[in-house]
Amino acid sequence: MTRFNTNQWLALIIAVFAAAYLWMAWQIPSFPLPRPVDSDLFPKVLGFTLLALAALLFLERPAEVVSGDEEADAAAQAAREDTARSLLLSPWSRVVVTSLAIVAYALLLVPFGFVLASTLLGFGLSWYFGYRRHAINLVVSLGVVLTLYLTLTRAMGVYLPTGLLPF
Amino acid sequence: MESLNNLMYGFGIALEPMNIAYVFFGVFAGTIIGMLPGLGPISALALMIPITFAMEPSSGLILMAGVYYGAIFGGSTSSILLNAPGVAGTVATSFDGYPMAKQGMAGKALAIAAYASFIGGTVSIVFLMLVAPLLGKVAVSFGPAEYFSLMVLGLTAVVSLSDKSLVKGLIAAVLGVMISIMGIDLQTGTERYTFGSAHLLDGIDFLVVALGIFALAEVFYILLRGGGGKEAPRNAIGSLKLSRSEVSQIAPPIARSSVLGFFTGVLPGAGATIGSFLGYSMEKRLAKDGHTFGKGNIKGVAAPEAANNAACTGSFVPLLTLGVPGSGTTAVLLGALLIMGVSPGPMMLENRPDVFWGVIASMYIGNIFLLVLNLPLIPLIAKILDMPKPMLLSLILIFCMVGVYGMSFSIFDLLLLLGFGLLGLGMRLFGFPTAPLILGLILGAIMEESMRRALQISGGDWSTFIDKPISMWLLIIAALSLLLPLAKRGLTKMRSPAAS
Repeated sequence: MTRFNTNQWLALIIAVFAAAYLWMAWQIPSFPLPRPVDSDLFPKVLGFTLLALAALLFLERPAEVVSGDEEADAAAQAAREDTARSLLLSPWSRVVVTSLAIVAYALLLVPFGFVLASTLLGFGLSWYFGYRRHAINLVVSLGVVLTLYLTLTRAMGVYLPTGLLPF
Repeated sequence: MESLNNLMYGFGIALEPMNIAYVFFGVFAGTIIGMLPGLGPISALALMIPITFAMEPSSGLILMAGVYYGAIFGGSTSSILLNAPGVAGTVATSFDGYPMAKQGMAGKALAIAAYASFIGGTVSIVFLMLVAPLLGKVAVSFGPAEYFSLMVLGLTAVVSLSDKSLVKGLIAAVLGVMISIMGIDLQTGTERYTFGSAHLLDGIDFLVVALGIFALAEVFYILLRGGGGKEAPRNAIGSLKLSRSEVSQIAPPIARSSVLGFFTGVLPGAGATIGSFLGYSMEKRLAKDGHTFGKGNIKGVAAPEAANNAACTGSFVPLLTLGVPGSGTTAVLLGALLIMGVSPGPMMLENRPDVFWGVIASMYIGNIFLLVLNLPLIPLIAKILDMPKPMLLSLILIFCMVGVYGMSFSIFDLLLLLGFGLLGLGMRLFGFPTAPLILGLILGAIMEESMRRALQISGGDWSTFIDKPISMWLLIIAALSLLLPLAKRGLTKMRSPAAS
């Protein structure tokens, strides 16, 4: 059996997506009055275009993705070495943990309030990413969040949730 | 004479104390954001949208223009000091800027970059002032068919000029257009791709996509590449002063690259990156000491810097006159303008002269601020690059969250932001360019509207797009812009086995 390359896998995923998109385009109800162009035409054009592009991608040889950033590559290498030490600090874990932190932030923003939730997010992630000067971290996180909060609420009249804090 | 009167009117607006403060803030913030590796003008502008959306459109755009200039200049600072261009437009600057910094002449390289940016920007503003109203007059005669074709050209040009795969660029553009048409169809009131969710009835906010795809994805990418890695030690900045002979050496390259940069910027899709590379290679060919380019030649810093700033101004021409952005960055600007309730295009000059001329005048002021602010602050600004990366990353995250929540007050949008951040990361890892997606997102809805209007006028006859000469030529150029790179690649492949 022939093994697919990266582009071919991507092309298959995109083709499935395009097919689903097209299926949904056919579900768009038509406008009661006859019109030369209805709401479903453009999505259908887009769906077929994407399908054709997926076919082209399937035939395209994958190019090597170069980062062009030696410093970052060195850092990536160092991070890979870190992986051996702790699974929680491996590069992909960092992405996953950060994503989870964003979800937690979104859920806690209203009950905790903007200032508290944002300071926690800023302080916590800086600490998790490896910053160990906790006092400076707290002062900077709180300072930036308070500045943003006051600018938005006082100067621009934007409402942000207060949550547990009285202001 | 009329232009001059209009410019004076624009200065009246731009010189209002609040607007001066905005330019100052914009240039400063843009410089700092642009300097941070990974964050370029697109991220800088996207981060500014929440601040500008409550402002007067002229003030908002004045601030944005300052941020744009500042970010491009900031990008050259990190190019020169770190060899880490924050933006593609300043990659060419690093060719000679970084070697100069390694030789202890970083101060000189930064000063040259500041002077060249200033002159490049100023020269091109004069061109913008002259060309934009003329083009605006032509654009008034554009109907929906011409607009549709122009937008197709805008998309294909951006895709064809990206250094990544053509097919992947087109896929990104189509995805952008797909996102843009989600929600209620304004012409028929029909729901499309809302999955029954009330959150999606208004479609997906542009800011959510822009911040996700650029800023958040960049944070993820840095994390994936071992973010918080050890910083390289910096060299001394050195003197900022230029000798008379150095000034006379860099003057002609700056002049040539300013003009070249402007016209490159006007072309849809070209912009600062192509402009700076063209400027650099032109000077390398013209210079007697061309062999020293890449080893710290001052002309190698002056030319791309003048060209990229001139191209930035040039890219405002299609945005302000046709309402069609020629690059990812101007697409973000267009998004910001639409949020503020201003639709750029041929009628803008008549309907909102305050915005149009206010922006042009503020560009002059922005350029002066860029020079006045950045020269004395160069050593200080360079220190910001020493900010610990872990803290920087978490602060960028907070800015993204505030940006999205402060505008939509929706928790759902925060989760969408995360989704787009992950999509942006995936695109980056698999070599999909992100600028076409954002351009597709911005142009998609207008493109569909133009297409449907054109077809309604023609009674559903698709030949309307090729019956109209302007529309036909725009489509031919669009097709050529896609086919030429392919043909060129094919020819290179055919030649390379012969050569080997």
